[in-house]
Amino acid sequence: MTTILTYSDTLQQAAEVLTLAKQLAPALNAEAYAIHIGELSQEAISFYGQAGAKKIYHIEDGQVSKGGPAVAAEALADTVSRVGAEVLLVAATRFGLETAPRVAQRLSTGYAAECFEVRVEEGSIVAYRGVLGGTYHAEVVMKKRPCVISVQTGRYQPSLSGAAETPQVEKIEVSPSAPSVELIEVQQSEAGEVELEKAELIVSVGRGFKKKEDLALAEELAKVVGAEIGCSRPIAGDLKWLPEERHIGLSGKRVRPKLYLALGISGQVQHLVGMRDSKTVIAINTDPNAPIMQESDYAVVGDLYKIIPLLTEKLKQTLGK
Amino acid sequence: MVDCVVCVKQTVDVNQLRPNPETLEPEYSKAPAKISDFDLNALEEALRIRERHGGKVYVVCVGSNVQQLLIREALAMGADEAYVVSDPALSSADGLATAGVLASLIKSKIPSWDLILCGEASVDEGAYQTGPRLAEILNIPHVSYVTKLELEEGYVKAWKGMGGSVHVVRAKTPVLVTVGLEINTPRLPSLLMIRAAGKKPLNELKLQDIGVTSLENAVETRRVKAVKVERKKQVIEGEPEEVAQKLVEILLQEGLVKK
Ligand SMILES: Cc1cc2nc3c(=O)[nH]c(=O)nc-3n(C[C@H](O)[C@H](O)[C@H](O)COP(=O)(O)OP(=O)(O)OC[C@H]3O[C@@H](n4cnc5c(N)ncnc54)[C@H](O)[C@@H]3O)c2cc1C
Ligand SMILES: Nc1ncnc2c1ncn2[C@@H]1O[C@H](COP(=O)(O)O)[C@@H](O)[C@H]1O
Repeated sequence: MTTILTYSDTLQQAAEVLTLAKQLAPALNAEAYAIHIGELSQEAISFYGQAGAKKIYHIEDGQVSKGGPAVAAEALADTVSRVGAEVLLVAATRFGLETAPRVAQRLSTGYAAECFEVRVEEGSIVAYRGVLGGTYHAEVVMKKRPCVISVQTGRYQPSLSGAAETPQVEKIEVSPSAPSVELIEVQQSEAGEVELEKAELIVSVGRGFKKKEDLALAEELAKVVGAEIGCSRPIAGDLKWLPEERHIGLSGKRVRPKLYLALGISGQVQHLVGMRDSKTVIAINTDPNAPIMQESDYAVVGDLYKIIPLLTEKLKQTLGK
Repeated sequence: MVDCVVCVKQTVDVNQLRPNPETLEPEYSKAPAKISDFDLNALEEALRIRERHGGKVYVVCVGSNVQQLLIREALAMGADEAYVVSDPALSSADGLATAGVLASLIKSKIPSWDLILCGEASVDEGAYQTGPRLAEILNIPHVSYVTKLELEEGYVKAWKGMGGSVHVVRAKTPVLVTVGLEINTPRLPSLLMIRAAGKKPLNELKLQDIGVTSLENAVETRRVKAVKVERKKQVIEGEPEEVAQKLVEILLQEGLVKK
């Protein structure tokens, strides 16, 4: 038997990587175990159990959970070595993405970032990931063991089985010596956490809107159909009409709703990366040659200022609101 | 005085890259190269630090076929000196090999430094790995996703974008930070600066010049293929009234909204 280890700084995503680990386990003749850093409540233990972990390697609080990525990487790499794991799967949260490559370096091994799929093919671990702005997929063969892979969040949906055995908890003692970073303050953004990744319907706005007040058109439409508001980068980054966490694309969120309604968005590569996995795409744009039109199921050529109010009105009537 | 090293990567211009219609593989040779976007933000930040605190700004770049012209652009923006390792042996270098070479380059050629700046991710690989790996090799702290940076005596204070929140952190120098688009707007070099850049030192090296005799790759990219998204691409035109009506029908038909 060999071991697949998983790690996430958030519980929800820990269940996601465990889901993948369980899928890979038979082909690698391995057991899937979780690593947990920091306080570990009874609820958390049973949650890990429901997600499929038979054992939790627990790195207790102290320096490790407060010291930043270098310290966490040291503890994770230590655990991988001690357990003799074949692979460490890390959830590609912000913390995961800054920590996993440091673990790989400490282990002097390969790393594949933000993979949307991992498979075992003829005994090799192969990771699939988006490259070149997400417009291409790369197949990455992990040649060395152990290896480190980070997994796109939201990709693997955990099936939490109700009745699971309580996992065994094994304490891992570490004595951190890696350079630490001191957290002084956490500033919550006013908007709070927006989970665009989970939204089923997204109304997304771009530079086709002339001024901030006009976003009300999109907001009203979103309200009628129960959608979240997303946007292109300029709307959040340059114009600051919407908070950063609503922007979709290369430097923002990756979403995969049932409906992506792109209003006045041209569809540059960097934006497309974030929304390509949407099930149905509808674009409204005055320019029939805008790249988004080629990426849409329904490409509406027209002025959003004229169409949106009518659409909202009609939907209100149809849906009886 | 604060000395900065900026890691810049030569990448393909993704917006101009097209796949081969048959194999769907990217046709790299038909698209121009450029410096990866965030690296210009990293360089801009280093230049601003020099304006405030004095010191030097070094640019480092490693690759299999680095174009001098691109590095001259970085010098034109204001970097003092560039070190480039351009060696065909690097054509299949992975993250492990690349970070190793960058570390050897910095250790052997840069006399002293306080801060290393990287892009948080490159536009081609988007791996978010080179900065953290480099910091690990050099055994220094790193701070990723920095949107604002201040220097204090022996420390950096950094504002770090974590999605829903901003973490304000402090780390001892020497330190490595990675940055994205949010931190600043890179300057465009003036004609005068472009001319001056011609005289700045651009040191071109081979792997052996920095004492690297062998490269270890731990991953192999087996295939890269364009993603084909199947879309209906149905065009809808007409009077706003008609269009809006049609959209309502589509939304109902596809079960996207429910009565
Ligand atoms: C490194 C890097 C990372 C980036 N990351 C991201 C990212 O994560 N997300 C992102 O979105 N962008 C990103 N960008 C920016 C990206 O390249 C584009 O500049 C951006 O997506 C364009 O935003 P837009 O479509 O809103 O604006 P524009 O490109 O200006 O498009 C506006 C569109 O609105 C249409 N329009 C105008 N008036 C109307 C009207 N009345 N009715 C209907 N349509 C109208 C126009 O025809 C046009 O197509 C990044 C860029 C770089 C270099
Ligand atoms: N070959 C390289 N030469 C110099 N810097 C690099 C190289 N590769 C990556 N970097 C730096 O590391 C950052 C992140 O790259 P990546 O890990 O590929 O996403 C880039 O933005 C650069 O700052």
